[in-house]
Amino acid sequence: MANGEIARDSAKQRTEDQYTRPGRTYQPSVDILETEQGLRLWADMPGVDQGSIDVELVDDVITISGRVSTAEYENLSPIYTEYNVGNYQARFRLSNKIDGSRISAKLANGVLEVELPKVQAAKPRRIEIS
Amino acid sequence: MALFRYGADLDPANALFRLQSELERAFDSRAGHDLGLLGRGVHPACNMFRSGEDVVLRIEVPGFAPENLAITSQGQTLSVAGKAPAQPEASGSYHRRERRRGDFSRSIQLPREVDPARATAECKHGVLTIRVPAREEVKPRQISITGG
Repeated sequence: MANGEIARDSAKQRTEDQYTRPGRTYQPSVDILETEQGLRLWADMPGVDQGSIDVELVDDVITISGRVSTAEYENLSPIYTEYNVGNYQARFRLSNKIDGSRISAKLANGVLEVELPKVQAAKPRRIEIS
Repeated sequence: MALFRYGADLDPANALFRLQSELERAFDSRAGHDLGLLGRGVHPACNMFRSGEDVVLRIEVPGFAPENLAITSQGQTLSVAGKAPAQPEASGSYHRRERRRGDFSRSIQLPREVDPARATAECKHGVLTIRVPAREEVKPRQISITGG
């Protein structure tokens, strides 16, 4: 985070979201790894299926969101709970070193994985000396 | 789920609100059961529901494939263990590292009226659902009366 490359958007934005969406929204736990090739992001979103997930890049802000289905909770009455259920959303500001056209994402076992390749020019290049 | 449903409660947009407030109400209420190690923050998080006579557990296990999970029961104790997938080779630096990693094992004490030996489990999208059916002897029964 030293270079401020990935900053989570301000808390204000999140509050606005909460007014316009039904139910409460939770921030998933996220890992972000930077390699030479790019950034890799993992977000824990248990209960979200492939069709209910959105990865969106607008300008340099990437938004990941997932909707949980309440259908599976029909006819269940809670007797003891440790976690609440809600939709997920997280938003990160990316540096322009990311090639927006080559972003890819996949979902497995409730974990979203997003590949954010760096643009070619940003990769360190060894310059041969003759 | 709720006892009474009418008016605004029928709006599907409120389904999530309703579920959330119901879960919230049940937070920290042990419903008379001693479940073993308890509380928010215990990993992995587990919600317990009643479905008719049965008990349904929903445990959040993101990142665990069904084949890496093992469920065992002994008496009224149900144990769930998870073997973490191999870590991806980290030839870089982490900007953010919030996700839980590593193996886990957790035991849950079930109410007496359910039979862990007949439990069934399913894992979908990182949520493990375990259904423990009620014992036959606790189900309501009609007792026939003979006249003499």
